[in-house]
Amino acid sequence: MDKFWLYLSVGASILSIGVALYLFFWVKKQPEGSPKAKEVASWIRDGSRTYLKRLYRTLILVVLILGFLIAIVFSFDLSKISTSQVAVVPINGLMMSVSFILGALCSAVAGYLGMSVAVEANVRTATAANESINKAFRLSFYAGSVMGLAMVGLAVLGMSVIFLITKDAESILGFSFGASTLALLAKAGGGIYTKTADIAADLVGKVEVGIPEDDPRNPAVVADNVGDNVGDVAGMGADIFDSYVAAVVAVMILGASSSRLGLNYVVLPLIICSLGILASLIGIQFVRVGKNGKPGPALNRGTVITTIIFAIMVTAFVLITSVNLGVIWATITGLGAGVVIGITSDYFTSDDRKPVFRTAEVSHSGAAINIITGFSYGLASIVPSVIGIALATLLAYYLAEINGLAGIYGIGISAVGMLSISGMIVSADAYGPIVDNARGIAEMSGMDHHVIETTDVLDAAGNTAKAITKGFSISAAALTVLALFAAYAEVVTASGVQLNMSLREPIVVAGVFLGLMTPPLFSALTMLSVTENAFAMIEEIRRQFRDRPGILAGTETPDYDACVDMAAKGSLSSLLWPALIAVGLPLLIGFVLGPNALGGFLGGSIFSGVIFALFMSNAGGLWDNAKKYIEAGNFGGPGSDAHKASVVGDTVGDPFKDTAGPSLNTLITVMSLVASLFAPLIAAFHLF
Amino acid sequence: MSVYLYLSLIPEALIASMLSPEEFGVYYAVGSKKKSSGQAIFFQVNPEFRSKYFRIQEGLARCVPHEDGAPKASIYISVYRVLEHVPIAELGKLYVVTQDGRTLGLEHSEEFPVNDAGLHLYKEIAPVTPLIASRLNAADFFDLIVRNPTSLVTLPAVAFTELRLGALATDPVLGQAGDLPYTNMDHLREVLLDLKTKSVATKMVDRINPTSFSYRTVKNGFYVGNENGLRYYPMPSSEVLRTQHYRWWRSANM
Repeated sequence: MDKFWLYLSVGASILSIGVALYLFFWVKKQPEGSPKAKEVASWIRDGSRTYLKRLYRTLILVVLILGFLIAIVFSFDLSKISTSQVAVVPINGLMMSVSFILGALCSAVAGYLGMSVAVEANVRTATAANESINKAFRLSFYAGSVMGLAMVGLAVLGMSVIFLITKDAESILGFSFGASTLALLAKAGGGIYTKTADIAADLVGKVEVGIPEDDPRNPAVVADNVGDNVGDVAGMGADIFDSYVAAVVAVMILGASSSRLGLNYVVLPLIICSLGILASLIGIQFVRVGKNGKPGPALNRGTVITTIIFAIMVTAFVLITSVNLGVIWATITGLGAGVVIGITSDYFTSDDRKPVFRTAEVSHSGAAINIITGFSYGLASIVPSVIGIALATLLAYYLAEINGLAGIYGIGISAVGMLSISGMIVSADAYGPIVDNARGIAEMSGMDHHVIETTDVLDAAGNTAKAITKGFSISAAALTVLALFAAYAEVVTASGVQLNMSLREPIVVAGVFLGLMTPPLFSALTMLSVTENAFAMIEEIRRQFRDRPGILAGTETPDYDACVDMAAKGSLSSLLWPALIAVGLPLLIGFVLGPNALGGFLGGSIFSGVIFALFMSNAGGLWDNAKKYIEAGNFGGPGSDAHKASVVGDTVGDPFKDTAGPSLNTLITVMSLVASLFAPLIAAFHLF
Repeated sequence: MSVYLYLSLIPEALIASMLSPEEFGVYYAVGSKKKSSGQAIFFQVNPEFRSKYFRIQEGLARCVPHEDGAPKASIYISVYRVLEHVPIAELGKLYVVTQDGRTLGLEHSEEFPVNDAGLHLYKEIAPVTPLIASRLNAADFFDLIVRNPTSLVTLPAVAFTELRLGALATDPVLGQAGDLPYTNMDHLREVLLDLKTKSVATKMVDRINPTSFSYRTVKNGFYVGNENGLRYYPMPSSEVLRTQHYRWWRSANM
């Protein structure tokens, strides 16, 4: 069965990439609009491409160095390394290294393709909005689909081809590690970039000078729009690509290491992903704005239909091929957890719900009360999501066990089940920054007010999709790293070391504490990078306004490139320590304190990482929407004391929700992968 | 190059300038390297206007282009008791400028807004800037403080606008504040309640109210008058502003 399904996976992935390419060229065929709109779009396009080229140039260096190290380390037969009968098998090292480079490459290509279409689609969406909301929505969503479909297609294609060649699930670990390395840097770098520009543009433009959002007189307005692309398109795409691949590889390793399961269960995650691709391709066809012209329900309808089709497909597949019934339950459990977390994100960030309403309401008492309220609701938002993850973990485990499947394999399948519909989820997510940019281009190029109002409607739906995707990616990462944790344990055990994770062992407790510390440290470093870079950019914007009064008078064009350049350099130079922590700390803990401490470290980092990621994403979204609720004419509206307080809350929440929060799931995935990859070496060589 | 005369209300001043009203609005609001900036409201004054109170001719003579040929942006002719000495008939269009320099010109109207029931909130713009709540409509309010004062407090001329009270105009206690951005809303409700329950026509809400205010709170327009008469400059409806003056509307709604 495995070969046939593997070929089917390859076919589904090629179909997905083909549709993505078709949509890419379809988008490019649409009219660009006025010369002014084209000019503004070219600033954003050039800024985005320049940043991504710089990022990828840095990454090539990182990937080549790590690839070289992996090639050397994995040229030794690690399974016998503790027996002093070390055999050198260069082909193993080469395969792992190539797999690693391929993972990074596929992730980069998906990100670049997604961002390329986004910077082409933004101006076309603005132009289409001049005609109708339906046309603009279709164009922007199809452009978002390029990212979603390319991402899942390249991921499944890469993993399937590697497995077809090597027949070894562990070699896909390299692919996953490559994808994660790129994701970490793309997500954290993009997050730092986008919030640096956003905060600086808002604090000087809106607060100090009083110019509206996306006003072309603001020197940071282009950098702000570039940030949407590099952070929310390329960064988020790389992030989900990473979780997607990591979930699959963890389950494949668990399938390969379990004697109770056959080879079919090794390739099963790839099959489930292929079914997810097909479901997404069908679901995308249902995303249409009806007569009421509301894009939000259209996006939700697409996600619901994709989920239902996918669940039916998995059920049919399991029943037809006589695969263990536990797979169905585990998959549905994963999808259920995704729904719970999506609803939770929606509840805590929607302006028609109590948390946002109360945060807005108390804002007239000042920024401190706004922050305390939003912070508290953010903390409370963890509860349903964590209960959802805990329930999904238990249900997936025991339902799998009851049906004769390894419980931990069930947990992994639930993560794969949740992530399988990523094609649709990422399509909806990438739509957001495209319409956000379209709005900016409409404003900057002086388009008619009805175009701006149409793009405002499209943008509001994009913000909700973005919040749901964050919840989705965090919960998926939580289940994925649990499976990766089990995979780490399997690899360590296979290396002849009995893993003892008892909390009565001081070394394990030390590992747990160090693990718990890591996500807050990582968050602090990325957010401090935002504030430092924003501080420098604020000075640059002030300087331009001060030295060139013609900018505000509208007679001079600001130096947009200066801010674009500052954001790019600042974000890339800020990545060193976060990257070192992600890759270096697990190795340091492992080689110094040993595999048991590393197990504790992974556990600690997973728990605090998930908590912090959920808290930061939800609190940030909540503050943002509380401000928007006031701006809609409530509690005094724009310019009121409540509004001023809510602006402070929103600014505090910006790096929470768009820099640190969404990078944490990538951090815990990278650390789990590093641990799994180097587990045999750590099992053989450790100080304590 | 033409030379214009402007009567600025924030702050009160008579200014000669070589800039057109729109250019002057941008310059006056966003400033130059001297960093003057902020909301601005000014009238275009008949360039032929002369008065014994102002050295207009001298000011116009100084209003010449810079050495590089750039137009002279401003020559201040007077910064004290200007409004009371400029006859209403000499005033042209009123320009309301946002803090980021978007300028909207308003023509005066012979028709005054229809009197409506409920309480009123008046923002005096020049020569003093208090915030006053009143039971009187705009014409009667003007009458009370300029033409027929019943108290010791009187003004020779005044420029003011009526601000929206929304539901508070009829129900100060339970009316929803909605999008009214005023500070110390509880105090405003108390003042309005006093007007409803006590025999007073006006009450001070805030005696040191800031000179600038949000244009979106303007109920229907601006008033300027002295002992010779009152003139009304209606503000377009929010729908007209949104559809026909979008840039100004967006800046005004910050």
